[in-house]
Amino acid sequence: MAAKKLYDSFSKTLLEEVQRWGSMKQTGVSLRYMLEFGSRFPDRNLLLAAQFLHKELPIRIARRAIELQSLPYGLSQKPAILKVRDWYLDSFRDLRSFPDIKDKNDEQEFTKMINLIKVRHNNVVPTMALGVQQLKKDLDPKLDYKDLDDIHQFLDRFYMSRIGIRMLIGQHVAMHEPNPPPDRIGYIHTKMSPVEVARNASEDARSVCLREYGSAPDVIVYGDPDFTFPYVPNHLHLMVFELVKNSLRAVEERFMDSDKIAPPIRIIVADGLEDVTIKVSDEGGGIPRSGLPRIFTYLYSTAKNPLDERADLGTADIATMAGYGFGLPISRLYARYFGGDLQIISMEGYGTDAYLHLSRLGDSQEPLP
Amino acid sequence: MRIMATKKNLYDNFSKTLIDEVHKWGAMKQLGVSLRCMLDFGSVSVSSERNLILAAQFLHRELPIRIARRAIELESLPYGLSEKPAVLKVRDWYLDSFRDLRSFPEIKNMNHERDFTEMIKLIKVRHNNVVPAMALGVQQLKKGLDPKLDYEDLDEIQQFLDRFYLSRIGIRMLIGQHVAVHDPNQQPNCIGYIHAKMSPTQVAKDASEDARAVCLREYGSAPEVNIYGDSGFTFPYVPTHLHMMVFELVKNSLRAVQERFMESDKPVPPICIIVADGEEDVTIKVSDEGGGIARSGLPRIFTYLYSTANDPVYERLDVGSADVVTMAGYGYGLPISRLYARYFGGDLQIISMEGYGTDAYLHLSRLGDSQEPLP
Repeated sequence: MAAKKLYDSFSKTLLEEVQRWGSMKQTGVSLRYMLEFGSRFPDRNLLLAAQFLHKELPIRIARRAIELQSLPYGLSQKPAILKVRDWYLDSFRDLRSFPDIKDKNDEQEFTKMINLIKVRHNNVVPTMALGVQQLKKDLDPKLDYKDLDDIHQFLDRFYMSRIGIRMLIGQHVAMHEPNPPPDRIGYIHTKMSPVEVARNASEDARSVCLREYGSAPDVIVYGDPDFTFPYVPNHLHLMVFELVKNSLRAVEERFMDSDKIAPPIRIIVADGLEDVTIKVSDEGGGIPRSGLPRIFTYLYSTAKNPLDERADLGTADIATMAGYGFGLPISRLYARYFGGDLQIISMEGYGTDAYLHLSRLGDSQEPLP
Repeated sequence: MRIMATKKNLYDNFSKTLIDEVHKWGAMKQLGVSLRCMLDFGSVSVSSERNLILAAQFLHRELPIRIARRAIELESLPYGLSEKPAVLKVRDWYLDSFRDLRSFPEIKNMNHERDFTEMIKLIKVRHNNVVPAMALGVQQLKKGLDPKLDYEDLDEIQQFLDRFYLSRIGIRMLIGQHVAVHDPNQQPNCIGYIHAKMSPTQVAKDASEDARAVCLREYGSAPEVNIYGDSGFTFPYVPTHLHMMVFELVKNSLRAVQERFMESDKPVPPICIIVADGEEDVTIKVSDEGGGIARSGLPRIFTYLYSTANDPVYERLDVGSADVVTMAGYGYGLPISRLYARYFGGDLQIISMEGYGTDAYLHLSRLGDSQEPLP
């Protein structure tokens, strides 16, 4: 795509509106609120929700559009970044030109519109990744990832905000589902079993490993399968998949050419009062302490960018990041989105432990960078 | 010994000239020494008088700088901590030691060097009880403070104590090494406090047994401790430091598991220790299934101001062997263990799984090139 000049496609009036809305205050929503709000959805609630989104979404989108235009090191001018910026501006325009929502018909039209917005933004992550690659090519190769901390922090904010926008839109759209499965409120499963999700994600990760190496170490999950709590299964699946995938690869690479039996990956699911914690442990040889900070960077990637060959976006709005080296930092954002965290500790020469903390309380407001 | 509760005016005991000198020396640049350097130096100095004199001259200049720096900080602590009787006492120890060093004449021959070594040995003994004295000062402060103040508000004091204790570890290491190099009867492979071929699994075993003994005395039983690692693997390190750190971690794990399983029929899960040798680090993980700590409660386990123990009774002061002070009862074990880990370029990290258990990771830098941290 050729770089487009800003004023070719977007009027001065619109751009001024973007500046104005981008400085308005964002309003966060908690998991508990999404849960309670969604459990009773007569028409009046849907109307109120749509009106809230009609005001909130443009604020969040404008904020990001402004940031996209002021990135350091010339990142803003990279073709891929310009494309993403245009998506954000188009979506802002769609929202701002939608009339006041007054009745059920308006609300239904609005819902269709925001669903299309979501689809428009499906490929943001791989596109941004391409932009970052375009930047790396031009940069001094002696520059260390640490020097590009501005960009890391921007990407963290940017992707975190995207998770929130897509969660809000996705929940609203899902509320219209005529026959929702039991215990579901949009993306939220009120009785999610972390042991079950961990098992499924592990099996998926083992399939990938099997395809790539011809064999895959075992994964053992320890925990009470009957224990459930409200959470977003897609998010958890993505995070556990990423961690197990990394562990499987490390163990496979370490034991491939040896006679020794590959030690299993062990997952422990612990339920506490504040948190549900999921630990993924492997004996894959570990990472030296000096190398640990870079595993959470966006600019350091051990894999190629497959954007040109295939745009594998996975199902249900989870973009598969395979190949971008984005899995860990984005997994951490998903964990933090509902007040949790992801920590990785390694024992060089032995293996690595990843701790996924999921907040049980559900009172955490969305982080609003 | 008892801490005198009377406040002493600074200029009653210390001349203005001295105080001016303290400020001058406290602003001078500190010089760090690495483990490798201590090792190399120690292995040649045993038979070299020239090296011993050079080392003494270095310490003659370096120690007053480090001591003056701390003396100055001790006088400018927030929330009135500097005026607490216990802290005044510590300040006086630092000033006395500074005076001793500054009034010692130039070191020109082995006689001077031997006298100097005797003198710094006495300085070290004078400072033996600094940690409990500071702990008492902090307690005195807490009594006077608004109880609603959270430990987080006292972050300045937390940071000061981290710097202060880290500096103390360094000063005592330098003095201890210099004194020990004079010892004609060194153990094989030992250079002062450093064991050139320390086996971490062996030290972990010893420390675990000591911790189990404490648990046994307190509860009548103690969970098992299993250690996994290559018993033949060795590297240069300070065994007393490692012993202290592993002892602290295992002690905490044993207590957590014991408390959790005391009243139950279920079999008591063992504490597992894994010793891993990498290129950069030796990592020792201590894992327990003692029920864990809530994520919100984790930051405070490294604070000096938050103590789960009762007010320290002076009689419980336990000055362990080889200059490692056991902090039993002050709740200082974890923050000070972390300082020991960081002293040679390592670290201590604690992660917990609420409802399950806790993992502590002790990273010990193998390279030995790390300069001492000089706060």
